[in-house]
Amino acid sequence: MKKLCSPTEHISRRALLKGTLGTAAGAMVANWGGVFASRVVAAEAKKRGKKCILLWMNGGASQLDTFDMKPGRPTGGPFRPIASNVTGIQMCEYLPKMAAIADKLAIIRSMKTQSPDHPDGIYHMHTCYKMSERTPHPEIGAMIARYLGDPNSDLPSFVRMGPTGNAGSGYLGPQYEPFNIGRDGKMPNFTGTQGTPEAETRRKELLKFVEDEFVKEHHAQPFDSHRMAKQRAWRLVKAREVFDITKDWVTAKERYGDTDFGRGCLMARKLIEAGVPFVEVGHDNYDSHADNFVCHKANFSQLDPAWSSLLNDLAERGLLEDTLVVWMGEVGRTPGINNRAGRDHYIRSWSTVLAGGGIKGGQLYGESDIDGKDVKSNPVTEGDLFATIYKTLGIDPRVKHYVGVRPVWATPEDSGPIEELVG
Amino acid sequence: MTFDKAALAWHLPWDADWVTAVTFVGKSRTLAAGNSLGEILVWDLPEKPTTEMPKPTRMLVGHSNVVSRLRSSADGRWLISSSYDRTIRVWDMQAPAGKESVDLVLNARTIADAEARKNNGAKVPPPIPAKVEKRDAAKVLDQHKEWVGSFSFNKDQSLMLSGDDSGELILWNFPQMKEASRWKTRNWVYAVALSPDGSQAVVTERRPLVFDSARQASVKLWDTKAGTVIKNLEADFKGMYLSAAEYSADGKLLALGRGGECDSTGGKIFLHNPADGKRIRELTPGHLSGLTDLAFHPDGRHIASSGRDTVIRLFDLTDGKMVKELGKGRGGQFKDWICALSFTADGQYLAGGDMAGGVQVYTLA
Repeated sequence: MKKLCSPTEHISRRALLKGTLGTAAGAMVANWGGVFASRVVAAEAKKRGKKCILLWMNGGASQLDTFDMKPGRPTGGPFRPIASNVTGIQMCEYLPKMAAIADKLAIIRSMKTQSPDHPDGIYHMHTCYKMSERTPHPEIGAMIARYLGDPNSDLPSFVRMGPTGNAGSGYLGPQYEPFNIGRDGKMPNFTGTQGTPEAETRRKELLKFVEDEFVKEHHAQPFDSHRMAKQRAWRLVKAREVFDITKDWVTAKERYGDTDFGRGCLMARKLIEAGVPFVEVGHDNYDSHADNFVCHKANFSQLDPAWSSLLNDLAERGLLEDTLVVWMGEVGRTPGINNRAGRDHYIRSWSTVLAGGGIKGGQLYGESDIDGKDVKSNPVTEGDLFATIYKTLGIDPRVKHYVGVRPVWATPEDSGPIEELVG
Repeated sequence: MTFDKAALAWHLPWDADWVTAVTFVGKSRTLAAGNSLGEILVWDLPEKPTTEMPKPTRMLVGHSNVVSRLRSSADGRWLISSSYDRTIRVWDMQAPAGKESVDLVLNARTIADAEARKNNGAKVPPPIPAKVEKRDAAKVLDQHKEWVGSFSFNKDQSLMLSGDDSGELILWNFPQMKEASRWKTRNWVYAVALSPDGSQAVVTERRPLVFDSARQASVKLWDTKAGTVIKNLEADFKGMYLSAAEYSADGKLLALGRGGECDSTGGKIFLHNPADGKRIRELTPGHLSGLTDLAFHPDGRHIASSGRDTVIRLFDLTDGKMVKELGKGRGGQFKDWICALSFTADGQYLAGGDMAGGVQVYTLA
């Protein structure tokens, strides 16, 4: 009796290992979204070799204080717009480095979404489906890992740092679970070594011998999964130098800003260069119900150098054309300024930004009304945004998976890509 | 002074935007207030409280962003304003009347809000008109390159210290309105105060990041001549953002107020000895959700604080006890702020800039 299906028959051993690595208990779920049914889609997507970085603005950044400013209006606040390197595109004065590369940005100013609070908004803006649905939808990172990840790579396909998503790999199964690291590159404890390389090798060989003997008498999938998870971890340990940005940081920190988020952005670049298809970097904390302006201003002092350096570095290395960089959070913020000098959650009209990966830069898409209270033209839903991202990356937004016998699509039925943005 | 008879003398409506700064001018009853739009209005208040509401007479135009602080020269000649537009402006309060005037409706926003809610039964109040003379600044100091959040004079007003959100501190030779020296702090300048003799300054700093290791809050005593730190008081405040700072007129007390949005009634005044930096006492109760401004009473025995809880409190400096609370909390956990405070030179009146749109003027005698 075969202990495992071969890669050609089903799923590769390494891909399975990735899943078992991501779940601490090695737990498995049945029918991971019909992963075998969409192999053709995956093969097509991989041919393009695209990758994605998600810069996650945890708490929800203010559209009125970034890319959809309303100077002179009661909703405007104290920030002032500055011109960018694209005629007609203005942005906050505290994003000057981003303004200098606006030709790389596609700014969507007409997000109109459905989930107004943090847990549901984080879920919705990571999966494009409502949290209240019973189906466990996968995060964007898991979906991209599924279709753009290399199952034979020693590196994880879905890496994230800082405050990020809350849905995990959902119905795609544990092999696409996120691999969480610190924004300083700190790896999980299991990747550490406990002795000399020689001692480690002898230890692994001994463990393998004991387990092989054990398996001769006990054939069961959980035992195999457990063994494979260990092997996967050992391979990751070998590749762990990729996560060490100490040397690069010495020269890069001035440009990226000597901050957690700056390090995270450099780490994202390094991982993309190493072949990881999806990296998410979270930036705390935009949930400014009080003192919105000083909070945002402080955050921008970290965001502007890190984000702009990431885009510039990717462009200089010829990677931006194939790397989509997404900037978004779970909600926007209210046009009205409350009596705590704050802005609350707002989903009727807010902004996200796309760059690279073939996105047509230097353009504004959609428009809000004079005070930013509602979308005036071209409303964009969660599904529309995700369809745009998936199409840009070469993934069919309507690719179908199965949860049990139930079909589920990558994006909701009534959504579609924004063709004006997709190159 | 007992403050037993302290009472609201006038509510001066002005709801164009939040009133963020306020000061009485010199030894007079002239009151200036600035708002979030960068506008400044001036009222010439009567000597005694009246039933008739005083109207503003002048509008000082030039700032294009939040007016963060207002102070005047002791002789009443000059009004000085700092702003998020990165300038400090100096206004000649004795300049001849200008030719241009403008008609205002002091409660325009209240009317507009009521109009919008008329279908729900909201009553639209009658307009409160005012005709004000427009004035320009006599001097614009544009050396700061970031939001100017605070400035302060020494006692004889030969020196002025201003600080901004880039951490730049500029010491001015005030009569000449020329820069004398400058130095830099690591973080944004939140509040500054100059000691009466001008030799020492207290500077509070902030970098208001949330849940981030780069979050910073600091307070230091500086030697203004050398631009060096005399004493770092950070350990006494453990991450608190200090929004207000003042030296007493005799230079023996330094008052610091905790701002930002802090937990519960943490918006307290802390009294320190400027000579050694040591804490003398805390004045309680603190303001719910944070303190916005503080001012020593001219009698030298009392201090007032305003907060994010819409009240003003007066404390006796000798025993630290609260002697009077002015105004009322407006309900709810968060309800407007009294943004700024100023006493008249004789201590008979106290003005508070009200975020809800206006200036509260209390008679204290």
